[in-house]
Amino acid sequence: MAGVSADPVDASVTSREAAWDLYEMIQACLQAPSYHLLFEAVLIVWIIQLLFVKSYKAKATLTEKEKEELIEDWRPEPLVPEVDPEHPVLQDMENRLIDGKIGRHVNINGKTYLNVASMNFLGMSGRVDIEASISTEYSQAEVAIDTVKKYGVGSCGPRGFYGTVDVHLELEDKLAEFMGVEEVIMYSYGLATISSAIPAYSKRGDIIFCDEGVNFSIQKGLVASRSKIYFFKHNDLEDLEGLLKAQEREDKQNPKKAKVTRRFLVVEGLYMKYGDFCPLPKLVELKWKYKVRIFLDETLSFGTLGATGRGITEHYGISIDNIDLMAASLEHAFGSYGGFCCGRSYVVDHQRLSGLGYCFSASTPPMLTTAAIKALSILQENPELLTKLHDNIRYIYEKLSKINGLRVMGETVSPMLFLQLAGPSDNRELDKAILRKIVQKAEEQGVVLILAAYLEEEEHTLPPPSIRISVSAELTHNDIDRVVSVIDDCYQNTVS
Amino acid sequence: MNVGVAHSDPNPNTTYFNSRGMWLTYTIVVGIIHYVFLSLPFLSVAMSWTLTNVIHNFLMFIILHVEKGTPFETTDQGKYRDKTVWEQLDKGTHFSASKKFLTVVPIVLFFLASFYTKYDPYHFIINALSLILVLVPKLPMLHGVRLFGINKY
Repeated sequence: MAGVSADPVDASVTSREAAWDLYEMIQACLQAPSYHLLFEAVLIVWIIQLLFVKSYKAKATLTEKEKEELIEDWRPEPLVPEVDPEHPVLQDMENRLIDGKIGRHVNINGKTYLNVASMNFLGMSGRVDIEASISTEYSQAEVAIDTVKKYGVGSCGPRGFYGTVDVHLELEDKLAEFMGVEEVIMYSYGLATISSAIPAYSKRGDIIFCDEGVNFSIQKGLVASRSKIYFFKHNDLEDLEGLLKAQEREDKQNPKKAKVTRRFLVVEGLYMKYGDFCPLPKLVELKWKYKVRIFLDETLSFGTLGATGRGITEHYGISIDNIDLMAASLEHAFGSYGGFCCGRSYVVDHQRLSGLGYCFSASTPPMLTTAAIKALSILQENPELLTKLHDNIRYIYEKLSKINGLRVMGETVSPMLFLQLAGPSDNRELDKAILRKIVQKAEEQGVVLILAAYLEEEEHTLPPPSIRISVSAELTHNDIDRVVSVIDDCYQNTVS
Repeated sequence: MNVGVAHSDPNPNTTYFNSRGMWLTYTIVVGIIHYVFLSLPFLSVAMSWTLTNVIHNFLMFIILHVEKGTPFETTDQGKYRDKTVWEQLDKGTHFSASKKFLTVVPIVLFFLASFYTKYDPYHFIINALSLILVLVPKLPMLHGVRLFGINKY
């Protein structure tokens, strides 16, 4: 370069080229082509217009008339709805207050009753009174008391916000090991588990195929997800496959949309409203065929089905790897509190920031967590609990199905059975009144039963009115004989 | 530390451009990019202005008008999943201050590029096309409209 600039002619040329003399540019501006000036004039008008235009919302606002119409249509609801003072729930709150532990027997108003109403399938809750018969060091309740002495009552915060105590991590690890999965995430409320998990994955624009008969918690999760929901008839695989095929056709027509749409299949392992199982092997086949993700709610089946209590997958002998996400509750078979989701780390870990029930709710109190750890070890050390439970279920199912005039709804190995009228009338309230009378009469004879209760206005589908029988491993054959004979007796009394 | 600037917006995409010093930062970043081109000896002044303009408009088009959704963990169940960042800005308010700024910047850049390229017709075509690319999607009547179904899903 130094050699080049030494040449006077070359140097003057470069300097002229590189200088971009302001004069030259102003000359160029003055001689600018007219199309260019026109274009710039349009842009200047645009800027001037921008200066004066006022900002406004993209969404069309309501006109005055529409506003008035809306106000006119609005009817205020009472802050406290009027409730019939004779409402059965209010009556129960007055007359059926339970005192002490809820186990095989319960204490109501100082009297002891045989209990087939609590979902205490393995008898974990209220275990103290049968401690001697079980060869464990000490019971769940004692573990919980020790934990209170060490950690205090509450955990005082959500898991991500000072609420994680070592026992939470211990339970997550132990459950993961027990279920044979990569990761477990704990929730502090069983009902909030699946209803938080569904909207964590399924968003607006996604599609959920769901069984009609799913429980209330799943229904709330579906609403919260804002996704498109297709309900198929309860346990009807043909209906489901029809929907899946229709979706497949739509996806083929619009592959770009299909590419950003997630498809889910939400089912329950053991249906809380019907007491029957989902046809899981067939569902898994459909899952692979139509590329949907399976979410399985094992609220009732966890700890009650399968030889070791791993739930519906173990019952059918299906590898848990086929299930994309499994949610279960610790509130029923485990006699503690809370719930958990399990699956691959890649899937489950997403909930630690997106599961609303996990992020924004205080974690399970440590005492209930250690109680759940204890329940898990009791279950692992005493597999005969499950044998006993399954034996009891078969026994009570056989006996109940012999009652004249009542029909048993549910599988022969379901820990929850529903007794409905064999010849129901058209009037739901009438059927309920008959069943309620049976419950009342049974109570007089020392057996606590319960009517299956639903928020009738909010449920998607309503099963027929029924008495809900929860079978426990603690019951003896004598107890079952007594329960069945009391029900039979009360039914015949009520009807005649 | 963050007194007065912390926000509770679930989707920061809607508000980040209203942060203090944003306009100044934007101008400085564009200036720095331009000075990088100017300092390259093999680029003429005209070329570096056109390059600055084209690259600015191209990036603006991609970031504001092509990219959809939000990278943040929002609790709105994917409300903004099918909206471009421009449509999310100020929750869809048209002609808000930041939107006016973002419209004026490419126009001013075009004027500067025209001046420094001495109204050369080839430079004009390239600069004008890149300007139209970022101005047309900003029109309120094209809010939420996907021309020919491009970038719809």
